[in-house]
Amino acid sequence: MTSPVIEAGDDLPLTVPALLAARVALRPDQVFLAVDDTTLTYAEADRCSAELARALLVDGASAGTRIALLHPNGPEFVTAWLAVSRLGAVSVPLSTFSTSTELVELLRGADVAVLLAASGYRSQDYVASLKAGIADLDMTAPPPLFSERVPSLRRVRFDLEGSDHSLHAGWTVSGLLALASAIGGDVVGAAESAVTPADRMVVVHTSGSSSQPKGVIHTHGALIRHLDNLNQLRRYRPGEILFSNSPFFWIGGLAYALLGTLVAGATLVCSNAASAAGVLAVLERRRPTMVNGFAASVAHVSQDPTFSSRDLSSIRRGNLYPIMPADVRPADPELRHAMLGMTEAGSVCLASDDESEQPESRRGSFGRPVPGFEASVRHTDDGGECGSGEVGELWFRSPFLMEGYDGREHHEVFDRFGWFRTGDLVTVDDDGFFYFRGRANDMIKTAGANVSPSEVEAAILEVSGLVAHVVGVEDHHRGQLVAALVCAPADAVVDLDDLGVRLRQRLSTYKVPRRIVVVPEDEVPMMSSGKLDLRALKKLLSTDDGTR
Amino acid sequence: MRPEAETIPALLSLRGDVEGDARAVVTANDSVTYAELNRVSTGVASRLVADGVVKGDRVALLAPNGVEWAIIAYAVLRIGAVLVPLSTLLRPPELLAQITSASVSTLLIIPEFRNRQYDKDLEHAVPGLASAMRSRRRHPSAPSLRRLWPIDALPLRSAPEAMVHALEARVRPADDLTVLFTSGSRGAPKGVIHTHGAALRAVAAGLEARCVGRDERLYIPMPLFWTGGLAGGLLTALVAGATLLTEAEPEPSGTLELLQREHVTLFRGWPDQARRLAAHPAFAEADLSSLRDGSLGALLPPERRPAPEARPNLFGMTETFGPYCGDRLDTDLPAAKFGSCGRPFADIDVRIVEPETGTELPAGRQGEIWLRGPNLLRGICGRVRSSVFTADGSYRTGDLGRLDEDGYLWYIGRMDDMVKVKGATVYPSEVEAALLSLDAVRQAYVTDIAAAVGPREVGALVVSNASVEAIHGAVRDRLSAFKVPTRWLVTDESEVVPLLASGKVDKTALQCLLQDEGRPPRS
Repeated sequence: MTSPVIEAGDDLPLTVPALLAARVALRPDQVFLAVDDTTLTYAEADRCSAELARALLVDGASAGTRIALLHPNGPEFVTAWLAVSRLGAVSVPLSTFSTSTELVELLRGADVAVLLAASGYRSQDYVASLKAGIADLDMTAPPPLFSERVPSLRRVRFDLEGSDHSLHAGWTVSGLLALASAIGGDVVGAAESAVTPADRMVVVHTSGSSSQPKGVIHTHGALIRHLDNLNQLRRYRPGEILFSNSPFFWIGGLAYALLGTLVAGATLVCSNAASAAGVLAVLERRRPTMVNGFAASVAHVSQDPTFSSRDLSSIRRGNLYPIMPADVRPADPELRHAMLGMTEAGSVCLASDDESEQPESRRGSFGRPVPGFEASVRHTDDGGECGSGEVGELWFRSPFLMEGYDGREHHEVFDRFGWFRTGDLVTVDDDGFFYFRGRANDMIKTAGANVSPSEVEAAILEVSGLVAHVVGVEDHHRGQLVAALVCAPADAVVDLDDLGVRLRQRLSTYKVPRRIVVVPEDEVPMMSSGKLDLRALKKLLSTDDGTR
Repeated sequence: MRPEAETIPALLSLRGDVEGDARAVVTANDSVTYAELNRVSTGVASRLVADGVVKGDRVALLAPNGVEWAIIAYAVLRIGAVLVPLSTLLRPPELLAQITSASVSTLLIIPEFRNRQYDKDLEHAVPGLASAMRSRRRHPSAPSLRRLWPIDALPLRSAPEAMVHALEARVRPADDLTVLFTSGSRGAPKGVIHTHGAALRAVAAGLEARCVGRDERLYIPMPLFWTGGLAGGLLTALVAGATLLTEAEPEPSGTLELLQREHVTLFRGWPDQARRLAAHPAFAEADLSSLRDGSLGALLPPERRPAPEARPNLFGMTETFGPYCGDRLDTDLPAAKFGSCGRPFADIDVRIVEPETGTELPAGRQGEIWLRGPNLLRGICGRVRSSVFTADGSYRTGDLGRLDEDGYLWYIGRMDDMVKVKGATVYPSEVEAALLSLDAVRQAYVTDIAAAVGPREVGALVVSNASVEAIHGAVRDRLSAFKVPTRWLVTDESEVVPLLASGKVDKTALQCLLQDEGRPPRS
């Protein structure tokens, strides 16, 4: 049974350490996570994370310590997240897309004390990124770090396996693990039993309408109970194998995929393969029964020439329609209930357990509020309740919502009656089904990621000195595309290629505008009021063929 | 009224820069100006930073009132670490429970005070803890605890002062300021979490009613480790730009000397302390002409003493970081409002609610006091938010009261079994648990009883074949002094226990029994 309260008095363990212990006791040798060629069983996850937790304690972490994780999906991320949670410390997952500037800004903004990081991923070199972002960083001398730029950051531990960087042992994961034996495992056990469902588990960053990413705080009990409820809706149970390529550093990957798998006691499969063939090989070998994530993340997979000859028959359910076998793939995806998720809601908040085809009248439905969520549709101007079919802003109230935004007071985030305004525009039909109608503010949703226009505008100004207007324009594959109108001063020539290069150094790739149009200052579409004409701007950026 | 800044570091540097020469804290033999406080606490902060304390770390301070308490507290707070004030009355098991509950990483203690040796006591309760801390290891009894320092021997190495300022710049009103322990309804004390913004706004909201202005010389003997001293004393002085006069061990002649020497303007001690001061032989000679109205009546000249109940009972709790309701203490209430708590301060929504249904009750009806607003606690250690606040954001105080047609709040009593004994909160269930933990005790029933003269007492009926003195002696090591029963009845016949048909103890009969047959332990 789903529960609308966190502490329902059933046997669901409400902290990560208690949950892990229960899963290990039941099925130690089952695979918890498979990523490409590597696997991690529940027993291995338990053993490795206990070791790391011990080492972190010796190295100075305590309950409440902010520990950032910078790893792609894989056993290293999972082990680190479990270890941090077992101490009652708080994980701060960082996007692997982060540029040097973004990385340092996140470490500073979230008051991170310890960073556990891969040395790099794909084209990124995080050791170099950190050096570039923090002046006088000397990783050949022993820590601690004292830097005014990141005043809380004391320790950074890079996993140097397979890298040619050479750092003092005080800056490496292997140096960290060597500390573990200095204390007994009983201290970890004591730390674990001191963790309560009320304790903060994680700070997940998301873009909003301001230029600074927001850190969304989730607690152990609320997030675990929420995922247990969601697992019952999606019938995610022991024995199921879930494929998801949602990154663990965002809520979909962390909660809906990773924590959901731990709650279910099931198996999670991911692939970091760069090629479609690599992903297909993983799917054939691991034989997932469920697939979930953002469809754009697997669109290229179904375009692979070998796709039709692959055996993906194990897949029975999910929402990655492009890779699902014909017999379970919907003829018209719009006639299945979709899901709405958001970082603040700990992943999914609108969904349905009905996976069947819906009547035409429900085309585009996102289902209903999930258990424990009270939803209300309100007029954006006066907050009054909307009637059936009226477009309004979606408001939520729930014990499973985030505790709050990091650094913002509760009353700045929730109204006095406990409501949270999502910024999403919806309608509700007479049967209580919800339909997504766009954003109430200007945040861009592109391929499963949120992008703040003001953050991109600020970056363009910073790297080029040019004023830009950034909007999301509709796009078939990505939902929205990030597009920018750059205002060129009279007689100036803007080098678009150079601007692109500079922006990619400053911004995560997914935030870099896919479309940039340069116009003379006096041709920027304005309304008679003197405000920017957003509709004309979007039209201009939609019809232009200057996709980069 | 709003505070001039909503974080401690911002307010401290403001006071240090603008009112630098004004004195912040004064005791009988020590004092510190705001400029000195600002400078010295920065120095202590740089030592804490060098030792590894970071933002968000819970730093516990166990010491009596004094200038040193203020310096260390502000050092902790200015770098965004969270201050966990611990009571000097705590016994080692209580101390350990609070350290664990608040996930304390750093413990700063006075080694010795009032015949207590805190370091030795702690080592006795947790053998090996101190040596584990000295060698930078952890101890399973307090897994979060990393360091334990005597306050007179903090580590000497300093981080650059620029690091302290960089950390200060990161402190936001939303960040946690303190975990304050108060007795919980299930016995174990609960750690109430307040943010910088909420705490400083709550203090500012009460200044007018409490008549505390700039340049005030405010005497508060309440311990700084509880709300009355921290919110009502130290932070009140900081927010108002006033001077706090306080003492570690108030004693009439010393107090009178301090009050005279410092030309005290407001006396907010305990009422019985004021009466004792007035009865002291030195009182007649003492010049307390600097005292203003709004001070406790016993110390004012007879013609300025307010009539009984004429002044509002400023009303609040640890969860509201001091009073949330009241009117000016220097002005009589309208006659019809004598005995009331006055009216709620700005920014707090006070409602009277039928506790079973959550329905708001109309003016004049009695019910549970529910609070809502931006100046309340952020939460309670170890309790999920949805168990602390209702779905619509209200905090249930557990207090019974009513609001009249004019918006005055009238306090009626506590809803649960909490009892107030000499101004301190005692939970009978906590005392019972301590008694039952003794091998010799088979059953234990604790309640409050009216004393023949003076304030209420804690009484205990114990089924055991040990003596009153043996049990009293043993339980004294497990409970703060004010929780230890003063009226005892020990019997080895369990039939003596008055029971209801339900099998539960008959509280009224128990109170009568203890009143008639209970006795104090023989010394």
